[in-house]
Amino acid sequence: MIVSTVYSPILFILVFASFVSGAFLPLLFREGRKATLASFAPSALGSLLVVALSLSIITSGSAIRFSSPLPAAAAPLAMDFYIGGISAFFMLIIGLVTLAVSFYSVGYCAEYYGKRSVRELGFLLNVFVLSMLLVTAANNVFTFLVFWETMSLASFFLVIYEHENISSMKSGITYIVMTHLGTAFIIGAFLLLYFQTGSLSFDVFRTQAPVLPQYTRDLVFGLAVVGFGTKAGIVPLHVWLPQAHPSAPSNVSALMSGVMIKVAIYGLVLFALGFAAPASPADAWLGMLLVAAGAVSSLIGVMYAAIEHDIKRALAFHSVENIGIIVIGLGLSVVFMSFNLVVLASLALLASMYHALNHAIFKSLLFMGAGSVLFSTGTRDMNRMGGLVKRMPWTALLFLVGAVAIAGLPPLNGFVSEWLTFQALLSSYQVPNVALQILVSLAGAAFALTVGLSLATFVKLFGISFLSRPRSEEAENAKEVPRTMIAGMSVMACLCVVLGVLPFLGARLVSSSFGFDLNFVGSPSPFGPLTATYALDGLTSVSSMSMPVVVALMGSAAAGLLGFTAVTTGLSGKTARRINTTWDCGFGMLNERMEYTASSLSQPIRTVFKALYKPHTSIKREHYSDSNVYMNKSVSVVSETRDVFEAGLYTGAVRATESLFDKVRRIQTGKVNSYLLYIMVVLVLFLFLAGVVP
Amino acid sequence: MTWRGIDAESVRLVLGALQVVLIIALAPLLTGIMRKVKARTQKRVGASVTQPYYDLSKLLKKDEVISDQASWVFSSAPWVIFAATVTASLFVPAFVPFSPFSVAGDILVVIGLLALARFFTMLAGLDVASAFGGLGSSREMMISSLAEPALFLTIFVVSLTLGGTNLTSLVGAAAQLGTVIAPSMLFGLLAFFVVILAETGRLPFDNPATHLELTMVHEAMLLEYSGRGLAFIEWSQSVKQMIMLSLLVNLFIPVGMPLNSDAGIALPLALGAVAFVAKIMTLSAIVAYVETRVAKWRLFRLPDLLAMAIASAMVGVILHYL
Repeated sequence: MIVSTVYSPILFILVFASFVSGAFLPLLFREGRKATLASFAPSALGSLLVVALSLSIITSGSAIRFSSPLPAAAAPLAMDFYIGGISAFFMLIIGLVTLAVSFYSVGYCAEYYGKRSVRELGFLLNVFVLSMLLVTAANNVFTFLVFWETMSLASFFLVIYEHENISSMKSGITYIVMTHLGTAFIIGAFLLLYFQTGSLSFDVFRTQAPVLPQYTRDLVFGLAVVGFGTKAGIVPLHVWLPQAHPSAPSNVSALMSGVMIKVAIYGLVLFALGFAAPASPADAWLGMLLVAAGAVSSLIGVMYAAIEHDIKRALAFHSVENIGIIVIGLGLSVVFMSFNLVVLASLALLASMYHALNHAIFKSLLFMGAGSVLFSTGTRDMNRMGGLVKRMPWTALLFLVGAVAIAGLPPLNGFVSEWLTFQALLSSYQVPNVALQILVSLAGAAFALTVGLSLATFVKLFGISFLSRPRSEEAENAKEVPRTMIAGMSVMACLCVVLGVLPFLGARLVSSSFGFDLNFVGSPSPFGPLTATYALDGLTSVSSMSMPVVVALMGSAAAGLLGFTAVTTGLSGKTARRINTTWDCGFGMLNERMEYTASSLSQPIRTVFKALYKPHTSIKREHYSDSNVYMNKSVSVVSETRDVFEAGLYTGAVRATESLFDKVRRIQTGKVNSYLLYIMVVLVLFLFLAGVVP
Repeated sequence: MTWRGIDAESVRLVLGALQVVLIIALAPLLTGIMRKVKARTQKRVGASVTQPYYDLSKLLKKDEVISDQASWVFSSAPWVIFAATVTASLFVPAFVPFSPFSVAGDILVVIGLLALARFFTMLAGLDVASAFGGLGSSREMMISSLAEPALFLTIFVVSLTLGGTNLTSLVGAAAQLGTVIAPSMLFGLLAFFVVILAETGRLPFDNPATHLELTMVHEAMLLEYSGRGLAFIEWSQSVKQMIMLSLLVNLFIPVGMPLNSDAGIALPLALGAVAFVAKIMTLSAIVAYVETRVAKWRLFRLPDLLAMAIASAMVGVILHYL
């Protein structure tokens, strides 16, 4: 392939050129199909090139480095890029998802023809993807922050793409405030490193990391966790995520949930394994902080997803959950690293990064699936869907693949990374600290609860949206989506199957990207079992699993059953199938209003965890006459659940800020005289300071 | 280690294959025994222990009636459920202390495959647009989302105490420990027993003998199945019960289990198989007896019991570390 050009940045420049032309070409065309093709054909090409570039870097173990030539005086403003294995891994994620989303968008944008500017969407989407790629390639603070900010702004404009919608605008504002709060913390972390090392280059940060003073490392790590955690959606910094991701157009939601939060994970990896890498057992608590944050995020995320009836919001909450699982793995890796348990650290990192790759794939698949449903029915409310499996068979099948994968069921990819995460949690018994062991096992409990609840959530998401009778006219009249959209989803569904059935491919990919040894996960043959075997204190711990064999056995079990039924029906004469109506106890008028809805299906879960959800239920009755309250004309019940973190943490802060600014506003009287007075006071103050301070 | 000129590996493979066939073939018998014990403790005569076989053969012969609302999810579910459950049974040591396939599938794969079966059962319940199906799926969602963590934490206890997640090595380690039961395992056992009641749809969680909309969970999801489809699901349910009971018996009560070093010798293996049969019969009698003694609990009291199981397993983990 293109392996020979690994050391030249030509491929990278071609990638750059593709996305730039994807951004500007559509501006030459009139709104419509041509503009759509002009923006998404280059982005598809660009993402293919990204996949080729990153795979060639990962497989050859080489790196690309180049910087923009600037005079020495402007050196801190120079653009500097370095693409090693870790960057290439995240670029691969971006490339894969963008490839699928580009196909998907060609069909999806048809919805906007004549209503909204597709050219703007194409421009923003290309800029968004390009800026994410450049963030992962950046090698100094200036480059990183410029493209980080470009990424945030492009995604902000994409979130408010449907800007006449008040709720869209509101979630956009929440998003931009939160993301800048996060950026402030990231800048803080970089500044601290600058003060310590006197440089803004990532190379220097990496080499200086081992000699950082303890407190600086702790502080840098903490700032980075808050900063990148905000972007990744770690609880309680996640409040923007379930608002912003669903508000964006579905192809953008797929990119935001599938990819953008992985860029934040890249940032975390940059600090956790590089700039503030653990050096001594004292750093184990930093890793534990991540494990705890991950455990809380995964549990809170899945709990809100379980009761949500807006399909895209449920998926967004699920991103919070999955980010939690990724962060648990990353945190465990830091814990193990600080005790110098290198093999276990690699195992935990493998689990974490495998899950990051998997989540990018199935979450973008599911968001595209939800987008297809939105495209056909015009609603995001699951209580208005149903029966789509017959009307949109392909979308249903592909969504089911994504649901099985994300629920962590064999034989798809979600199971593999959750298996690895469980092994990483289990191996924490080798950490020589009882308090840490017990804390990790508590995280294990949260992880277990998360796995259980996410299964339930995806029964609801698939069952209510696609199965049983249509619950509304829109669902009744739904049509299958265009082929380009199906193609986009199929790419991701195939990857779910491949990375699930052949886990060795994914494990190899991660290990060569991050440059660790894969011996502990078993034989080098692609069909060999995935193992995690280690011995300590006379206890040999053996774990292994081989998905190709499991799949083969399942296939033969089904084949055996087929043979068995052929034999038994052959013996007893043929059996027939008759079609009849669903059993209705003789009622005769079973209709869609008697089915379970998304809200009623999850009602038991809401009741069990009502201490967390604090549901608000209001019952409104109308009576025929005011004197007789027993004769109801109509009764309506509204039950809603709010995010307790939003209500508890943020509403107060927002209100306090507003009242502070109300007070500050009083000095602005609008009279020129008082402004002159202010100027004079400040001037005198400055003169005084200049006189006193030498 | 050879046996009449055949090398040990082949003997293991043959015994392992035989074990799978026995699990699948004898699972309905175990269901029959449990029903018989339950009937006797309730002072009824009860049906013959072979009744489940008659039921299955009758169902296999009958025509199927399918709802007009059903999609391919409904018709493929019995196949997926059966294939997943049978595959899970391949990895479980039951009569002999090993499974030849256990390199390919550990206890997490077993749990994952059973969860896959449950996933499709719940979807099938929703597919036919009947309120009963939704009711069953909704209740199952709640129960399974709490039983699953209890199960995972029990595995956590077992894996920490015995090492790893590979079932052959776990069962071998349990046999090595013999009758000495670690305190952490005791708490794990308590949790696992509750999980078995929940997972196999026994009282106080679910009453397998009733079709009353107020109480049914598992049966509600299957209400639209008939003929062959129903036969597959009923059979899978029996196999699942057998898997869960075997896991409990072999991991927590290793009495009479031959050591791994005896794995090629006929006598200890035969004794082990006899001990296994005796233990699993006793256990199923206990489960059936519990069913007679307790009433069906109110749905929203069940989380208390499951939370107790989760807490118990958690105590087991902490005890292991302390």
